[in-house]
Amino acid sequence: MAGRLFPGRLDFWTGVTILILAVLAVLLIVPIFRVLALSFVDADTGSFTLGNYVEVFTRNYYVSGLKNTLFVGLMGTLGACLLGIPLAFFTARFHIRGRTWISTLAILVLVAPPFIGAYAWIMMLGSNGFITNFLERFGLETPTIYGAHGIILVFTLKFFPFVFLMTQTALNAVNKSFEDAAGNLGCDPWRTFRKITLPLVFPAVSTGAIICFVLAIADFGTPAILGRGFRTLSTIAFAAYRSELGGLPTMAVTVSIIMMAISMLALVAQRRILSRRRYASSLTNLPVRQRLSGWRNVAVHVFCHATVLIAMLPTLVVVYTSFLKTNGPVFVGGFGFESYLRIWRTAPEAITNSFIFSLAAVALITIFSSLISYVIVRRETTASGAIDFLMMVPYLVPGVVMAIGFVTTFRTGAFQGVSVAALLILLYFIRRLPYGVRSTTSSLRQIKPSMEEAAINLGAPPLTAFLKVTVPLIVPGLIVGSLMGFITAINELSGTLIIYDSGTITMPVQIYLAVLDGEFGLAAAFSSVLLLCTGICVYAVFRFADNRESTFV
Amino acid sequence: MASVDITGLRKLYGDVVALEDISISIPSGSFYTLLGPSGCGKTTLLRTIAGFHDQNSGSIAIDGAPIHDVPAYRRDVGMVFQDYAVFPHLSVEDNVAFGLRQRKRPAAEIRTRVAEVLEVVQLGPFAKRMPHELSGGQQQRVGLARAIAIKPKVLLMDEPLSNLDARLRVDLRAELRRIQKDLGITTIYVTHDQEEALAMSDIVCVMYEGVIQQAASPLDIYLRPANRFVATFVGANNFLSVVGNGDGFALGSGGADLVGLAPGAPSGGIVAAIRPETLFVAGAKATPSDAGITIPATLREVSFIGREMEIFAVTRTGEPLKAVSRPDPGVIGMDQGGPITFAVRREDLLFFEDRDTGARI
Repeated sequence: MAGRLFPGRLDFWTGVTILILAVLAVLLIVPIFRVLALSFVDADTGSFTLGNYVEVFTRNYYVSGLKNTLFVGLMGTLGACLLGIPLAFFTARFHIRGRTWISTLAILVLVAPPFIGAYAWIMMLGSNGFITNFLERFGLETPTIYGAHGIILVFTLKFFPFVFLMTQTALNAVNKSFEDAAGNLGCDPWRTFRKITLPLVFPAVSTGAIICFVLAIADFGTPAILGRGFRTLSTIAFAAYRSELGGLPTMAVTVSIIMMAISMLALVAQRRILSRRRYASSLTNLPVRQRLSGWRNVAVHVFCHATVLIAMLPTLVVVYTSFLKTNGPVFVGGFGFESYLRIWRTAPEAITNSFIFSLAAVALITIFSSLISYVIVRRETTASGAIDFLMMVPYLVPGVVMAIGFVTTFRTGAFQGVSVAALLILLYFIRRLPYGVRSTTSSLRQIKPSMEEAAINLGAPPLTAFLKVTVPLIVPGLIVGSLMGFITAINELSGTLIIYDSGTITMPVQIYLAVLDGEFGLAAAFSSVLLLCTGICVYAVFRFADNRESTFV
Repeated sequence: MASVDITGLRKLYGDVVALEDISISIPSGSFYTLLGPSGCGKTTLLRTIAGFHDQNSGSIAIDGAPIHDVPAYRRDVGMVFQDYAVFPHLSVEDNVAFGLRQRKRPAAEIRTRVAEVLEVVQLGPFAKRMPHELSGGQQQRVGLARAIAIKPKVLLMDEPLSNLDARLRVDLRAELRRIQKDLGITTIYVTHDQEEALAMSDIVCVMYEGVIQQAASPLDIYLRPANRFVATFVGANNFLSVVGNGDGFALGSGGADLVGLAPGAPSGGIVAAIRPETLFVAGAKATPSDAGITIPATLREVSFIGREMEIFAVTRTGEPLKAVSRPDPGVIGMDQGGPITFAVRREDLLFFEDRDTGARI
């Protein structure tokens, strides 16, 4: 091979690839491996042991936690499917009034802070909840919201939009001719649905379900608030971390590893099932929506609207509660702005912290997702394949795990100087980076490579071509990705709880603490602020995204 | 004006050979076309010249100066893309000015040059438009204007007309050629369309499986194809096997002896190629009197397509034959499945070794 006159020829993007891999190694791989390594360490002697795993799989405390996690995870996923699939089918196949409204509410449910649902249900159905109190006046006993069934209820109502939105998108893309052919061959509508439609959208349903399952397994806020002695792995890991503070958090990380293993097994299983089902979709005959009449029409409408309204209920309750007149933690009747004034008096820094950390993380997300998506889409190397794969990892690693990994990696040894604020920013960055990358990547895939080649051919060096041609063309994807990153970053709770200190408290942490203290008014005011930020971002996403529904799942 | 010399260029994709020992010499100011079926390596060759691919070995030189290790953005070769690649976020004039701005030319010079080039491609009034307000043909003119604005030494065009509809393609084809001649710019043009190649080029270079089959003038390519592949690809051909009969040769399907064919032909066998337009129905009005070689066959179908008719038949040995000639009611009325006899002139027969790229004898 002839010698290079300009050795820097390919080096810009090779350099970028190396930078990306280095960042991912430090912020993703090392923390996860630290967690993994710690799980094999004896907390007292510091030597290698399998004892932690033995303990987790033998001690009743952990075993029941594992069972509980799987139980609420599976039941929550099942519930989400039972709501999401019919909802998707009805809105995709029948004329439903307010279909956009239903999708919008579903999206709002999806992006609302995850723990709001839990404590809003306490306010409604808790021991002093207003529905409980209301029914008590008539001598009616309401079932308690605490425990497994409460968690399952919240998971179901919180996660069904994933199944709903993914299934709906798939149903809208199913060639109508398949269903017509089944009908022509003698299938009644119900049989056609079971034998043709459902199998065709199964990949989407299972993807939605797997997202529900992974999120349910990792969820910390809901079982922490509603559990009351019903422990899941995430609350156990958090409690273990707290009690092991000062020593080595070996039990916390061991439990964390089990959580990750469950998520990964679920994902691998789903991939396996899907690999045998690949349906090429040729869009020739789009499905049409049938018009229903009579009681069926009423029933379908009631189901659709009731589902999203009930799912929205916690949010409405929270906003309502935030405007109730309070005196300290006590609601004194009537409306007022005391709760908001108390934010101002007690912890205004929670709002500024939340914004600073999230915005800083989003700035990093924006820069890196544009670079990463270019490397993934335009450069077919082993390294870009590895980066593509690594972008899936943050979805699977629960916040508690990632945060413990961060603490064990960056609060000791060489990185000790990293401030808590920087750590939180980096945590949000690495956990939410995939949202940015996914959106930017799909944007970039629609841009022909000849665009950049034309720029280079006209004399633009790689970086100039990227900044002047590629970036302007992927701006919509970048904006949507950054907004999604922002929404999920500003609502982050579980990881922050592990890392934060008195100077770096954020809104979700403040809400969590307020709920634990029974300060529902304060929690509601904070939650409303958070909801407002999230709502503005969702509106912005609607403005910029091509396909508003699929952006959120 | 610049000449391009490529020597021993080799390019592999993994184990697959994309370009095999390519050596061509392109005279200054000429219109040089790379012609071949998809996957033949023509686009790879063009993109290697542009610097988008690294060669595994060999050299590329413009006016004697090697450029094969110069990064793509410093090669000074203008490229026109198949999908136009007009920047959608920039106006027509900003697209055309893009390369000049990269070269940090003064604003006044950029303005005059942009206006000048837009005039050449007849897009003067469209300077302020955005690309989505232009038709495909207009977008490709922007692509061309953008490429020639930087006064490149060499212009590369990658199937620039293939995304346009047939009518426009023919118009723009003539215009491209006119602009190229006016500017006198050395142009390397990639296409899979033989008509386009023959109509536009000074030299046509036929490629197949990463290897150059023949580089010659359009007329030579058509009339004197170097091998069987070129004969097949440029102008459809009928191929009939040739067999020895004692001391001479004859068509395997029967008919007159083929006099004048050199004895000692290659052992792999010989085929005779007959262009459809030189194959006549014996006894029909248009058949020239000196079409002395007759080929008995069975008529399959005659399709009348207006300006001409296409006659499909099979010889006794099952070899398909196609003839194209002016419509003749006598022939169109013939029975399908009935016997038909073709006639061809001896000098319209070309002989090749009987393999894919068998040489002409």
